[in-house]
Amino acid sequence: MAFVDLIYGRLVMVTGKGGTGKSSVSAALGRLAAAQGRKTLVLEIDAQNPAMKAIYGVEPGYKPMEVAPNLYVANLHWLQNLSEWVSRVLPGGRVVRLVLGNPLIQSFLEVAPGNRETIALSKIGWLMEDFDLVVVDLAASGHALAMLEVPNTMVGLFPSGPIRKEGETALAMLQDSQSHLVLVGLPEDMVVNETIETFEAIREKVPGLSMDTILLNRSSVPSLTEEEHGFLAALSDGVKSPGAEELLWAGRWESQLEEATAEAEERLTQRLQARVIQIPRLSHDGGPQQLVHQIAAALVRASSARTGS
Amino acid sequence: MNASLRELIASKRLLVCVGSGGVGKTTMAATIGLRAAREGRKVLVLTIDPARRLANSLGLDSIGNVETQIDIGESQGELWAMMLDTKTTFDDLIQRSAPDDDTRNAILDNRIYQTLSAHFSGSQEYMAGEALYDVVESGRYELVVLDTPPAKNALDFLEASARLSKFLDPRVIGVFLAPPEDRRFLGRVVYGTSAVVFRLLSFVFGGEFLEDFTEFLRNFEPMYEGFRERHEAVSTLLRSPTTSFLMVCAPNEPSMEVARFFNDELQERGLSRGGVVVNQVLPCEGEALDPNALLGEAASSLQAEFEPGTSARILARLGAAHRRLRQHAHIERKLIDDIRSMMHGETNTLYEVPRLEGEVHDLGSLERAAALLFD
Repeated sequence: MAFVDLIYGRLVMVTGKGGTGKSSVSAALGRLAAAQGRKTLVLEIDAQNPAMKAIYGVEPGYKPMEVAPNLYVANLHWLQNLSEWVSRVLPGGRVVRLVLGNPLIQSFLEVAPGNRETIALSKIGWLMEDFDLVVVDLAASGHALAMLEVPNTMVGLFPSGPIRKEGETALAMLQDSQSHLVLVGLPEDMVVNETIETFEAIREKVPGLSMDTILLNRSSVPSLTEEEHGFLAALSDGVKSPGAEELLWAGRWESQLEEATAEAEERLTQRLQARVIQIPRLSHDGGPQQLVHQIAAALVRASSARTGS
Repeated sequence: MNASLRELIASKRLLVCVGSGGVGKTTMAATIGLRAAREGRKVLVLTIDPARRLANSLGLDSIGNVETQIDIGESQGELWAMMLDTKTTFDDLIQRSAPDDDTRNAILDNRIYQTLSAHFSGSQEYMAGEALYDVVESGRYELVVLDTPPAKNALDFLEASARLSKFLDPRVIGVFLAPPEDRRFLGRVVYGTSAVVFRLLSFVFGGEFLEDFTEFLRNFEPMYEGFRERHEAVSTLLRSPTTSFLMVCAPNEPSMEVARFFNDELQERGLSRGGVVVNQVLPCEGEALDPNALLGEAASSLQAEFEPGTSARILARLGAAHRRLRQHAHIERKLIDDIRSMMHGETNTLYEVPRLEGEVHDLGSLERAAALLFD
């Protein structure tokens, strides 16, 4: 399957170390799916500072909001999510009012760890009924992993009751062949380390979740020969003027980015047996929405290059 | 040059670094810790980032859940580091605070305890407060530098203690722990509906779970007071005049957005803002540079030893690379100016650190980063 074909699935979850461009990638996948006529939702979970606001210029609410043809955004605010969850999972209006109006239950639900995750996963399942594709811009890797582990833990912890049922449903959703997890990384040592750690942890702790691709964002394609590298190094020796130093710095900087990309790709493919797709370093000049368009185009190019070869 | 930042590391007892991921927050925490140790203080750098990259930036393979001294050579001060492991911290806490062996074992064996302590994302933030309190109150360090998880979770950390102490409200616990008859009575007094509530909870979570949970709370009961006291102390600690928050960001829009967000939140909560560190700033003066004028002579003297045309290709490449550098630097400059105006003219609290060549993962490069930040 070419990478971009995952937009024909039902659920794509995107995570990676903070600052790798998860949100831009999520928005780009959403855009590609919507362009294919699929009714698509790009979803953030209780984001205090939603990324889609910077991209689409509107504050995403709990209810999905159309920002382009077939393309919707939403942000799952926790209390609204809880209130919908309670009224769907528990029978009867009186019970719901009791649950939501009672400070004891509120504080129990608020504090018991794992509840937020369960409730959000249930909501993702319901949203999937209304959309052809849901793209979830998950939290950074550590916390995304904690969330993905929850259904398994729930099933182990609750021998009975509605929460167990919700856990089973969420687990089935994660393990469905139409659901995919995508990791976004950068060609930097520490980011590659964390990407490897996260990938292996997800393989171990969320068995059955389909995950085979790492997007290497802000990649640089090597452009200098050995000979040219040698020349650049020789030229750097003995340079005195600040202007010349700055020029050489610019050259070395780009060479370093190229080397780092090659190293990152090698480490990731060897260690994880995963497919690595490079997204080139792109200019931020045109603003966040333009960047999303460019990432979408790069994903299509990279995918067709791979299937062609 | 950066006198106010020096003042901060000389006078504060706790510095909390907040900011989005990928901006070198952990590296900055280690850098600040190293410089403070060089200035003669006894410093601990503590990371509660689940991604654990403190060891990387100190050039070590790993640092555990115990305080580890870092060899920084000849120095008056000391540098220590610790990475928080939630499960171990939880277990340690139970070991120390359980009134007797039976209670301790009952808790450690409880299914709910095991799940809570190891699996759920919220427990990281709860335990961060505990670990922080322990190290600050131990008096073993003159300065603790805390590295927090990336943006979206750092606020959970600020709120975790409030949430936990709300949950440990004796009225709430009482409903679970009172015998059923009393529960009904207590319920009427406190909320009016507790028996119904209890039945409801048991419906939602399943009867077996609720039994486990009550059992768990009962074993925990002798320790509640201690928990509550510590969490109130953490809250006081974060508001103390000897505590300050540093916002770390990189010169790109998403990370600056997060810095703005933190600035507002800290202000709203009345927490002390120690300044903004803009890390990874491209070293570029902004002027157009002509590679032929500046390097042409040096390049042609090298050409003889290389394939024909190499010199011209390299000079062209440097020109193009520098144009791209200027473009990026121009965007960065605008973003940094925005942040400066956000600080309402408190320009002396905005610190720029240029991007270093290569990555920071040994003491040598940390020293260079410290020189750029402080000198």
